[in-house]
Amino acid sequence: MAEILLEADNVGLTYHQPTGETLAVDNITFSINRGEFLSIVGPSGCGKTSILSMIAGLMEPSHGKIILHSNHRPGYMLQRDHLLDWRTVEGNVLLGLQVKRILDDNTRAFALSLLDTYGLSDFTKSYPRQLSGGMRQKVALIRTLACSPELLLLDEPFSALDYQTRLKACDEMYGIIRNEGKTAILVTHDISEAISMSDRILVFSSRPARIKAEHQITLSAGNTPLERRNSPEFKDYFDIIWKEIDHEH
Amino acid sequence: MNTNAMSQEHIIYLRGIRRQNRTVSFFRYFILIAAVALWELAARLGWIDPFIMSSPSRVWDTIIRLYGDNELFHHIAVTMLETVVGFVLGTILGTLIAVILWWSRSLARILDPYLVVLNALPKIALGPILIVWFGAGIKSIIIMGLLISLIVTVMTVLAGFNEITDEKQLLMRTLDASRIQILTMVVLPASIPTIMSALKISVGMSWVGVIVGEYLVSRAGLGYLIVYGSQVFKLDLVMASIVILCVLAAIMYYCVAYFEKRLIKWRDWA
Repeated sequence: MAEILLEADNVGLTYHQPTGETLAVDNITFSINRGEFLSIVGPSGCGKTSILSMIAGLMEPSHGKIILHSNHRPGYMLQRDHLLDWRTVEGNVLLGLQVKRILDDNTRAFALSLLDTYGLSDFTKSYPRQLSGGMRQKVALIRTLACSPELLLLDEPFSALDYQTRLKACDEMYGIIRNEGKTAILVTHDISEAISMSDRILVFSSRPARIKAEHQITLSAGNTPLERRNSPEFKDYFDIIWKEIDHEH
Repeated sequence: MNTNAMSQEHIIYLRGIRRQNRTVSFFRYFILIAAVALWELAARLGWIDPFIMSSPSRVWDTIIRLYGDNELFHHIAVTMLETVVGFVLGTILGTLIAVILWWSRSLARILDPYLVVLNALPKIALGPILIVWFGAGIKSIIIMGLLISLIVTVMTVLAGFNEITDEKQLLMRTLDASRIQILTMVVLPASIPTIMSALKISVGMSWVGVIVGEYLVSRAGLGYLIVYGSQVFKLDLVMASIVILCVLAAIMYYCVAYFEKRLIKWRDWA
Protein backbone atom coordinates (compact mmCIF):
# COMPACT_ATOMS: atom_id res chain seq x y z
CA MET A 1 0.00 0.00 0.00
CA ALA A 2 1.25 3.44 -0.85
CA GLU A 3 2.72 5.35 2.02
CA ILE A 4 1.99 9.05 2.45
CA LEU A 5 5.07 11.30 2.52
CA LEU A 6 3.47 14.72 2.67
CA GLU A 7 0.09 16.06 3.66
CA ALA A 8 -1.17 19.57 3.10
CA ASP A 9 -4.28 20.13 5.15
CA ASN A 10 -6.47 23.12 4.41
CA VAL A 11 -3.45 25.34 3.73
CA GLY A 12 -3.91 29.06 3.16
CA LEU A 13 -1.52 31.96 2.77
CA THR A 14 -2.06 35.70 2.96
CA TYR A 15 0.57 38.15 1.74
CA HIS A 16 0.91 41.49 3.45
CA GLN A 17 2.08 44.52 1.53
CA PRO A 18 1.86 48.24 2.28
CA THR A 19 -0.86 48.53 -0.35
CA GLY A 20 -2.99 45.84 1.23
CA GLU A 21 -3.27 42.14 1.78
CA THR A 22 -3.64 39.46 -0.82
CA LEU A 23 -5.01 35.99 -0.35
CA ALA A 24 -2.50 33.98 -2.39
CA VAL A 25 -3.42 30.42 -1.48
CA ASP A 26 -6.79 29.31 -0.22
CA ASN A 27 -7.84 26.03 1.25
CA ILE A 28 -5.44 23.65 -0.40
CA THR A 29 -5.62 20.03 0.69
CA PHE A 30 -3.67 17.24 -0.94
CA SER A 31 -1.21 14.52 -0.13
CA ILE A 32 1.60 12.79 -1.97
CA ASN A 33 2.76 9.22 -1.70
CA ARG A 34 6.33 8.06 -1.46
CA GLY A 35 7.85 7.64 -4.92
CA GLU A 36 5.10 9.62 -6.62
CA PHE A 37 5.74 12.37 -9.17
CA LEU A 38 3.20 15.15 -8.73
CA SER A 39 2.92 18.26 -10.86
CA ILE A 40 1.14 21.47 -10.08
CA VAL A 41 0.04 23.53 -13.08
CA GLY A 42 -1.87 26.75 -13.17
CA PRO A 43 -1.92 30.24 -14.61
CA SER A 44 1.20 32.29 -13.90
CA GLY A 45 1.21 34.18 -10.65
CA CYS A 46 -1.41 31.90 -9.11
CA GLY A 47 0.58 31.00 -6.03
CA LYS A 48 2.17 27.75 -7.17
CA THR A 49 5.57 28.82 -5.91
CA SER A 50 4.08 29.88 -2.56
CA ILE A 51 2.97 26.30 -1.98
CA LEU A 52 6.51 25.03 -2.58
CA SER A 53 7.96 27.68 -0.27
CA MET A 54 5.62 26.59 2.48
CA ILE A 55 6.45 22.91 1.97
CA ALA A 56 10.15 23.80 2.04
CA GLY A 57 9.63 25.62 5.32
CA LEU A 58 10.67 29.01 3.95
CA MET A 59 7.24 30.45 4.76
CA GLU A 60 4.69 29.58 7.40
CA PRO A 61 1.15 28.98 6.14
CA SER A 62 -1.32 31.57 7.44
CA HIS A 63 -3.65 28.75 8.29
CA GLY A 64 -3.85 25.01 7.93
CA LYS A 65 -0.83 22.76 8.25
CA ILE A 66 1.72 20.85 6.25
CA ILE A 67 2.99 17.57 7.57
CA LEU A 68 6.11 15.95 6.15
CA HIS A 69 6.76 12.36 7.18
CA SER A 70 10.50 12.48 6.66
CA ASN A 71 13.60 13.17 8.70
CA HIS A 72 15.16 15.07 5.82
CA ARG A 73 14.34 18.55 4.76
CA PRO A 74 12.89 18.66 1.23
CA GLY A 75 15.38 19.46 -1.53
CA TYR A 76 14.46 22.58 -3.46
CA MET A 77 15.40 23.33 -7.06
CA LEU A 78 14.93 26.87 -8.25
CA GLN A 79 14.28 28.17 -11.76
CA ARG A 80 17.90 29.04 -12.24
CA ASP A 81 20.74 26.79 -11.13
CA HIS A 82 22.47 29.47 -9.02
CA LEU A 83 25.73 27.59 -9.03
CA LEU A 84 28.40 29.56 -7.22
CA ASP A 85 30.85 30.77 -9.87
CA TRP A 86 33.87 30.68 -7.61
CA ARG A 87 33.38 27.06 -6.59
CA THR A 88 34.19 24.09 -8.76
CA VAL A 89 31.47 21.60 -9.66
CA GLU A 90 32.62 19.51 -6.73
CA GLY A 91 32.52 22.51 -4.39
CA ASN A 92 29.02 23.36 -5.55
CA VAL A 93 27.76 19.82 -5.08
CA LEU A 94 29.16 19.74 -1.54
CA LEU A 95 27.61 23.12 -0.64
CA GLY A 96 24.48 21.74 1.02
CA LEU A 97 26.49 19.23 3.05
CA GLN A 98 28.82 22.00 4.25
CA VAL A 99 25.95 24.28 5.16
CA LYS A 100 24.28 21.52 7.15
CA ARG A 101 27.65 20.59 8.67
CA ILE A 102 27.27 16.96 7.66
CA LEU A 103 30.21 16.84 5.26
CA ASP A 104 32.31 13.77 6.08
CA ASP A 105 33.98 11.00 4.09
CA ASN A 106 30.71 9.15 3.60
CA THR A 107 28.58 12.07 2.46
CA ARG A 108 31.39 13.36 0.25
CA ALA A 109 31.81 9.94 -1.37
CA PHE A 110 28.07 9.77 -1.93
CA ALA A 111 27.95 13.19 -3.59
CA LEU A 112 30.90 12.37 -5.82
CA SER A 113 29.37 9.01 -6.73
CA LEU A 114 26.28 10.88 -7.95
CA LEU A 115 28.48 13.02 -10.20
CA ASP A 116 30.07 9.83 -11.43
CA THR A 117 26.81 7.99 -12.06
CA TYR A 118 25.31 10.85 -14.01
CA GLY A 119 28.27 11.45 -16.27
CA LEU A 120 29.83 14.52 -14.67
CA SER A 121 32.95 12.93 -13.19
CA ASP A 122 35.16 14.59 -15.82
CA PHE A 123 33.94 17.99 -14.72
CA THR A 124 34.42 17.83 -10.94
CA LYS A 125 37.26 20.36 -11.09
CA SER A 126 35.58 22.59 -13.69
CA TYR A 127 34.04 25.93 -12.88
CA PRO A 128 30.31 26.47 -13.61
CA ARG A 129 31.10 28.96 -16.37
CA GLN A 130 32.71 26.15 -18.34
CA LEU A 131 29.48 24.12 -18.40
CA SER A 132 26.45 24.24 -20.67
CA GLY A 133 23.02 25.21 -19.37
CA GLY A 134 21.77 21.63 -19.25
CA MET A 135 24.86 20.43 -17.41
CA ARG A 136 24.59 23.26 -14.91
CA GLN A 137 21.01 22.30 -14.11
CA LYS A 138 22.13 18.69 -13.65
CA VAL A 139 24.83 19.83 -11.22
CA ALA A 140 22.16 21.81 -9.36
CA LEU A 141 20.03 18.66 -9.11
CA ILE A 142 22.97 16.66 -7.78
CA ARG A 143 23.69 19.43 -5.27
CA THR A 144 20.11 18.94 -4.07
CA LEU A 145 20.33 15.14 -4.07
CA ALA A 146 23.63 15.18 -2.14
CA CYS A 147 21.71 16.04 1.04
CA SER A 148 19.59 12.88 0.56
CA PRO A 149 16.17 14.53 0.63
CA GLU A 150 13.21 12.20 0.25
CA LEU A 151 11.07 14.89 -1.30
CA LEU A 152 12.21 17.08 -4.18
CA LEU A 153 10.55 20.41 -4.89
CA LEU A 154 11.09 21.55 -8.46
CA ASP A 155 10.12 25.13 -9.19
CA GLU A 156 10.08 25.42 -13.00
CA PRO A 157 13.60 24.03 -13.09
CA PHE A 158 13.76 24.03 -16.89
CA SER A 159 12.33 27.44 -17.65
CA ALA A 160 15.71 29.13 -18.04
CA LEU A 161 16.80 26.62 -20.72
CA ASP A 162 16.19 26.82 -24.45
CA TYR A 163 13.64 24.41 -25.90
CA GLN A 164 16.02 21.73 -27.19
CA THR A 165 18.08 21.67 -24.00
CA ARG A 166 14.92 21.75 -22.00
CA LEU A 167 13.52 18.52 -23.47
CA LYS A 168 16.84 16.77 -22.97
CA ALA A 169 17.32 18.09 -19.43
CA CYS A 170 13.76 17.02 -18.67
CA ASP A 171 14.54 13.45 -19.74
CA GLU A 172 17.76 13.35 -17.80
CA MET A 173 16.32 14.79 -14.59
CA TYR A 174 13.36 12.46 -14.80
CA GLY A 175 15.73 9.51 -15.18
CA ILE A 176 17.79 10.61 -12.19
CA ILE A 177 14.78 11.25 -9.96
CA ARG A 178 13.21 7.88 -10.82
CA ASN A 179 16.52 6.08 -10.51
CA GLU A 180 17.15 7.52 -7.05
CA GLY A 181 13.60 6.63 -6.05
CA LYS A 182 12.70 10.17 -5.04
CA THR A 183 9.30 11.71 -4.54
CA ALA A 184 8.88 14.94 -6.47
CA ILE A 185 6.58 17.92 -6.73
CA LEU A 186 7.03 19.88 -9.95
CA VAL A 187 5.58 23.34 -10.36
CA THR A 188 5.31 24.46 -13.96
CA HIS A 189 3.19 26.45 -16.35
CA ASP A 190 4.13 24.09 -19.17
CA ILE A 191 1.28 21.60 -19.49
CA SER A 192 3.17 19.20 -21.79
CA GLU A 193 6.08 19.09 -19.41
CA ALA A 194 3.75 18.27 -16.52
CA ILE A 195 1.95 15.48 -18.41
CA SER A 196 5.17 13.98 -19.72
CA MET A 197 6.75 13.72 -16.27
CA SER A 198 3.97 13.15 -13.76
CA ASP A 199 1.93 10.39 -12.19
CA ARG A 200 -0.61 12.94 -11.09
CA ILE A 201 -1.38 16.57 -11.86
CA LEU A 202 -3.10 19.19 -9.74
CA VAL A 203 -4.59 22.09 -11.67
CA PHE A 204 -4.65 25.31 -9.68
CA SER A 205 -7.07 28.16 -10.23
CA SER A 206 -5.85 31.71 -10.62
CA ARG A 207 -5.22 33.69 -7.46
CA PRO A 208 -6.18 32.84 -4.80
CA ALA A 209 -4.93 29.37 -5.64
CA ARG A 210 -7.41 26.57 -5.14
CA ILE A 211 -7.27 23.04 -6.48
CA LYS A 212 -9.48 23.13 -9.52
CA ALA A 213 -8.96 19.63 -10.84
CA GLU A 214 -6.87 16.56 -10.27
CA HIS A 215 -5.76 14.09 -12.95
CA GLN A 216 -4.20 10.69 -12.56
CA ILE A 217 -1.93 10.37 -15.60
CA THR A 218 -1.76 6.98 -17.26
CA LEU A 219 0.11 6.90 -20.52
CA SER A 220 0.36 3.72 -22.54
CA ALA A 221 3.70 4.35 -24.21
CA GLY A 222 7.20 5.20 -23.20
CA ASN A 223 9.45 5.34 -20.18
CA THR A 224 10.98 8.76 -20.64
CA PRO A 225 9.16 12.10 -20.80
CA LEU A 226 10.13 12.47 -24.46
CA GLU A 227 8.66 9.09 -25.37
CA ARG A 228 5.65 9.62 -23.17
CA ARG A 229 4.80 12.67 -25.25
CA ASN A 230 4.00 10.28 -28.12
CA SER A 231 1.33 8.37 -26.24
CA PRO A 232 -2.12 8.57 -27.79
CA GLU A 233 -3.63 9.77 -24.49
CA PHE A 234 -1.16 12.67 -24.22
CA LYS A 235 -3.19 15.01 -26.39
CA ASP A 236 -6.44 14.31 -24.52
CA TYR A 237 -4.87 15.18 -21.17
CA PHE A 238 -3.38 18.28 -22.74
CA ASP A 239 -6.74 19.45 -24.11
CA ILE A 240 -8.57 18.92 -20.83
CA ILE A 241 -5.96 20.70 -18.73
CA TRP A 242 -5.54 23.47 -21.31
CA LYS A 243 -9.26 24.20 -21.12
CA GLU A 244 -9.25 24.14 -17.35
CA ILE A 245 -6.50 26.72 -17.18
CA ASP A 246 -7.80 28.73 -20.12
CA HIS A 247 -11.19 29.22 -18.48
CA GLU A 248 -9.45 31.09 -15.73
CA HIS A 249 -8.75 34.03 -18.00
CA MET B 1 44.48 26.19 -32.38
CA ASN B 2 45.93 24.56 -35.46
CA THR B 3 48.07 27.04 -37.36
CA ASN B 4 48.08 24.96 -40.52
CA ALA B 5 44.31 25.08 -40.80
CA MET B 6 44.19 28.87 -40.62
CA SER B 7 42.61 30.53 -43.59
CA GLN B 8 44.21 33.45 -45.37
CA GLU B 9 41.41 35.62 -44.09
CA HIS B 10 42.11 34.67 -40.48
CA ILE B 11 45.82 35.39 -40.88
CA ILE B 12 44.98 38.85 -42.15
CA TYR B 13 42.57 39.35 -39.28
CA LEU B 14 45.20 38.37 -36.69
CA ARG B 15 47.78 40.57 -38.38
CA GLY B 16 45.32 43.46 -38.14
CA ILE B 17 44.90 42.96 -34.41
CA ARG B 18 48.67 42.79 -33.89
CA ARG B 19 49.21 45.93 -35.91
CA GLN B 20 46.60 47.79 -33.89
CA ASN B 21 48.20 46.67 -30.61
CA ARG B 22 51.59 47.83 -31.86
CA THR B 23 50.18 51.22 -32.82
CA VAL B 24 48.62 51.67 -29.39
CA SER B 25 51.81 50.85 -27.47
CA PHE B 26 53.89 52.95 -29.84
CA PHE B 27 51.81 56.04 -29.20
CA ARG B 28 51.73 55.39 -25.46
CA TYR B 29 55.54 55.55 -25.30
CA PHE B 30 55.72 58.23 -27.93
CA ILE B 31 53.57 60.66 -25.92
CA LEU B 32 55.72 60.15 -22.81
CA ILE B 33 59.01 60.50 -24.61
CA ALA B 34 57.84 63.46 -26.70
CA ALA B 35 56.53 65.31 -23.63
CA VAL B 36 59.76 64.79 -21.72
CA ALA B 37 61.88 65.79 -24.74
CA LEU B 38 59.80 68.87 -25.43
CA TRP B 39 60.00 69.92 -21.79
CA GLU B 40 63.79 69.52 -21.78
CA LEU B 41 64.15 71.30 -25.10
CA ALA B 42 61.93 74.18 -24.02
CA ALA B 43 63.98 74.64 -20.85
CA ARG B 44 67.33 74.51 -22.71
CA LEU B 45 66.25 76.89 -25.46
CA GLY B 46 64.86 79.33 -22.93
CA TRP B 47 61.22 79.06 -24.08
CA ILE B 48 60.31 78.47 -20.45
CA ASP B 49 62.09 79.52 -17.29
CA PRO B 50 63.68 76.37 -15.80
CA PHE B 51 63.72 78.07 -12.40
CA ILE B 52 59.89 78.05 -12.34
CA MET B 53 59.12 75.15 -14.68
CA SER B 54 62.14 72.96 -13.91
CA SER B 55 63.23 70.44 -16.55
CA PRO B 56 63.65 66.65 -16.87
CA SER B 57 67.41 66.81 -16.36
CA ARG B 58 67.02 69.01 -13.27
CA VAL B 59 64.35 66.62 -11.92
CA TRP B 60 66.71 63.73 -12.52
CA ASP B 61 69.58 65.54 -10.78
CA THR B 62 67.32 66.30 -7.85
CA ILE B 63 66.31 62.67 -7.50
CA ILE B 64 69.98 61.60 -7.64
CA ARG B 65 70.87 64.22 -5.01
CA LEU B 66 68.06 63.07 -2.73
CA TYR B 67 69.32 59.53 -3.17
CA GLY B 68 72.88 60.61 -2.41
CA ASP B 69 71.74 62.34 0.79
CA ASN B 70 69.96 59.12 1.82
CA GLU B 71 66.71 61.07 1.83
CA LEU B 72 64.93 59.64 -1.21
CA PHE B 73 63.85 56.34 0.27
CA HIS B 74 63.15 57.88 3.63
CA HIS B 75 60.51 60.19 2.15
CA ILE B 76 59.13 57.49 -0.10
CA ALA B 77 58.91 55.07 2.83
CA VAL B 78 57.05 57.57 5.01
CA THR B 79 54.45 58.37 2.35
CA MET B 80 54.06 54.74 1.28
CA LEU B 81 53.59 53.63 4.88
CA GLU B 82 50.92 56.25 5.50
CA THR B 83 49.10 55.43 2.28
CA VAL B 84 49.19 51.65 2.62
CA VAL B 85 48.12 51.73 6.27
CA GLY B 86 45.38 54.28 5.59
CA PHE B 87 44.09 52.40 2.59
CA VAL B 88 44.22 48.92 4.13
CA LEU B 89 42.51 50.15 7.30
CA GLY B 90 39.97 52.07 5.21
CA THR B 91 39.15 48.96 3.18
CA ILE B 92 38.88 46.66 6.19
CA LEU B 93 36.83 49.12 8.22
CA GLY B 94 34.69 50.03 5.19
CA THR B 95 33.95 46.40 4.40
CA LEU B 96 33.17 45.73 8.05
CA ILE B 97 30.70 48.62 8.19
CA ALA B 98 29.16 47.41 4.93
CA VAL B 99 28.71 43.95 6.48
CA ILE B 100 26.94 45.47 9.50
CA LEU B 101 24.68 47.57 7.28
CA TRP B 102 23.91 44.52 5.12
CA TRP B 103 23.10 42.55 8.23
CA SER B 104 20.63 45.07 9.60
CA ARG B 105 18.42 46.55 6.95
CA SER B 106 16.89 48.93 9.51
CA LEU B 107 20.28 50.28 10.50
CA ALA B 108 21.14 50.77 6.82
CA ARG B 109 17.91 52.70 6.32
CA ILE B 110 18.50 54.82 9.42
CA LEU B 111 22.08 55.67 8.47
CA ASP B 112 21.48 56.17 4.75
CA PRO B 113 21.13 60.00 4.82
CA TYR B 114 24.24 60.27 7.00
CA LEU B 115 26.23 58.23 4.51
CA VAL B 116 25.01 60.37 1.65
CA VAL B 117 25.99 63.60 3.42
CA LEU B 118 29.35 62.24 4.56
CA ASN B 119 30.03 61.08 1.03
CA ALA B 120 29.27 64.53 -0.36
CA LEU B 121 31.38 66.27 2.29
CA PRO B 122 34.93 67.04 1.13
CA LYS B 123 36.83 65.04 3.74
CA ILE B 124 39.82 67.35 3.33
CA ALA B 125 37.81 69.97 5.23
CA LEU B 126 38.24 67.75 8.29
CA GLY B 127 42.04 68.05 8.12
CA PRO B 128 42.47 70.85 10.66
CA ILE B 129 40.14 69.10 13.10
CA LEU B 130 42.08 65.86 12.78
CA ILE B 131 45.29 67.70 13.60
CA VAL B 132 43.73 69.13 16.75
CA TRP B 133 42.33 65.76 17.78
CA PHE B 134 45.15 63.41 16.85
CA GLY B 135 48.17 65.69 16.92
CA ALA B 136 50.39 67.09 14.22
CA GLY B 137 51.92 63.79 13.17
CA ILE B 138 51.69 60.61 11.23
CA LYS B 139 48.51 59.55 13.05
CA SER B 140 46.50 62.44 11.61
CA ILE B 141 47.83 61.76 8.13
CA ILE B 142 46.90 58.08 8.23
CA ILE B 143 43.42 58.92 9.51
CA MET B 144 43.05 61.42 6.70
CA GLY B 145 43.98 58.74 4.16
CA LEU B 146 41.55 56.35 5.83
CA LEU B 147 38.62 58.76 6.08
CA ILE B 148 38.79 59.89 2.51
CA SER B 149 38.39 56.33 1.21
CA LEU B 150 36.13 54.97 3.93
CA ILE B 151 32.70 56.22 2.89
CA VAL B 152 33.21 55.37 -0.78
CA THR B 153 34.28 51.88 0.24
CA VAL B 154 31.23 51.44 2.48
CA MET B 155 28.85 52.57 -0.26
CA THR B 156 30.43 50.60 -3.11
CA VAL B 157 30.76 47.39 -1.11
CA LEU B 158 27.25 47.66 0.35
CA ALA B 159 25.82 48.19 -3.12
CA GLY B 160 27.78 45.10 -4.19
CA PHE B 161 26.34 43.06 -1.31
CA ASN B 162 22.81 44.13 -2.14
CA GLU B 163 23.33 43.21 -5.76
CA ILE B 164 23.83 39.54 -4.89
CA THR B 165 20.47 38.26 -5.99
CA ASP B 166 17.87 37.46 -3.41
CA GLU B 167 17.50 34.14 -5.19
CA LYS B 168 21.05 33.08 -4.35
CA GLN B 169 20.22 33.80 -0.73
CA LEU B 170 16.96 31.88 -1.16
CA LEU B 171 18.97 28.92 -2.40
CA MET B 172 21.05 29.06 0.77
CA ARG B 173 17.91 29.19 2.88
CA THR B 174 16.54 26.10 1.16
CA LEU B 175 19.75 24.42 2.28
CA ASP B 176 19.02 25.55 5.84
CA ALA B 177 21.84 28.09 5.95
CA SER B 178 22.19 30.59 8.77
CA ARG B 179 22.75 34.26 7.97
CA ILE B 180 26.41 33.93 8.91
CA GLN B 181 26.72 31.11 6.39
CA ILE B 182 24.92 33.15 3.74
CA LEU B 183 27.37 35.98 4.43
CA THR B 184 30.56 33.95 4.42
CA MET B 185 29.67 31.38 1.77
CA VAL B 186 27.77 33.52 -0.73
CA VAL B 187 27.68 37.26 -0.15
CA LEU B 188 31.36 37.85 0.66
CA PRO B 189 32.88 35.61 -2.02
CA ALA B 190 30.41 36.88 -4.62
CA SER B 191 31.37 40.45 -3.71
CA ILE B 192 35.11 40.00 -4.10
CA PRO B 193 35.06 41.57 -7.59
CA THR B 194 33.17 44.57 -6.17
CA ILE B 195 35.50 44.84 -3.19
CA MET B 196 38.48 44.73 -5.54
CA SER B 197 37.14 47.55 -7.69
CA ALA B 198 36.38 49.52 -4.53
CA LEU B 199 40.02 48.90 -3.63
CA LYS B 200 41.15 50.34 -6.94
CA ILE B 201 39.17 53.50 -6.28
CA SER B 202 40.20 53.86 -2.66
CA VAL B 203 43.89 53.36 -3.36
CA GLY B 204 43.79 56.58 -5.38
CA MET B 205 41.68 58.32 -2.74
CA SER B 206 44.14 57.40 -0.01
CA TRP B 207 46.97 59.04 -1.94
CA VAL B 208 44.93 62.24 -2.02
CA GLY B 209 44.26 62.05 1.73
CA VAL B 210 47.86 61.34 2.62
CA ILE B 211 49.37 64.05 0.42
CA VAL B 212 46.91 66.63 1.74
CA GLY B 213 47.65 65.41 5.26
CA GLU B 214 51.35 65.89 4.60
CA TYR B 215 50.70 69.39 3.27
CA LEU B 216 49.10 70.28 6.57
CA VAL B 217 51.50 68.63 8.99
CA SER B 218 54.66 66.62 8.59
CA ARG B 219 58.38 66.70 8.53
CA ALA B 220 58.83 63.94 5.99
CA GLY B 221 57.17 62.39 3.00
CA LEU B 222 56.59 63.38 -0.60
CA GLY B 223 53.77 65.79 0.29
CA TYR B 224 56.15 67.47 2.70
CA LEU B 225 58.81 67.74 -0.04
CA ILE B 226 56.28 69.36 -2.37
CA VAL B 227 55.20 71.95 0.19
CA TYR B 228 58.73 72.58 1.38
CA GLY B 229 59.99 72.87 -2.20
CA SER B 230 57.36 75.42 -3.12
CA GLN B 231 58.00 77.48 0.02
CA VAL B 232 61.73 77.77 -0.62
CA PHE B 233 61.11 78.05 -4.35
CA LYS B 234 62.91 74.85 -5.29
CA LEU B 235 60.57 73.87 -8.11
CA ASP B 236 62.97 71.07 -9.09
CA LEU B 237 62.18 69.42 -5.80
CA VAL B 238 58.44 69.86 -6.30
CA MET B 239 58.55 68.38 -9.80
CA ALA B 240 60.80 65.52 -8.72
CA SER B 241 58.39 64.62 -5.90
CA ILE B 242 55.45 64.66 -8.27
CA VAL B 243 57.25 62.38 -10.73
CA ILE B 244 58.04 59.95 -7.91
CA LEU B 245 54.42 60.10 -6.77
CA CYS B 246 53.24 59.24 -10.28
CA VAL B 247 55.45 56.18 -10.37
CA LEU B 248 54.45 55.02 -6.88
CA ALA B 249 50.73 55.51 -7.50
CA ALA B 250 51.00 53.54 -10.74
CA ILE B 251 52.91 50.73 -9.05
CA MET B 252 50.37 50.51 -6.25
CA TYR B 253 47.46 50.48 -8.67
CA TYR B 254 48.99 47.66 -10.67
CA CYS B 255 49.67 45.73 -7.48
CA VAL B 256 45.97 45.90 -6.63
CA ALA B 257 45.04 44.97 -10.20
CA TYR B 258 47.42 41.99 -10.12
CA PHE B 259 46.03 40.91 -6.76
CA GLU B 260 42.52 41.16 -8.21
CA LYS B 261 43.40 38.97 -11.15
CA ARG B 262 44.92 36.30 -8.93
CA LEU B 263 41.98 36.30 -6.56
CA ILE B 264 39.19 35.87 -9.10
CA LYS B 265 40.64 33.42 -11.51
CA TRP B 266 37.24 31.75 -12.00
CA ARG B 267 36.30 34.83 -13.95
CA ASP B 268 38.60 33.82 -16.78
CA TRP B 269 36.05 31.21 -17.77
CA ALA B 270 33.51 33.30 -19.50
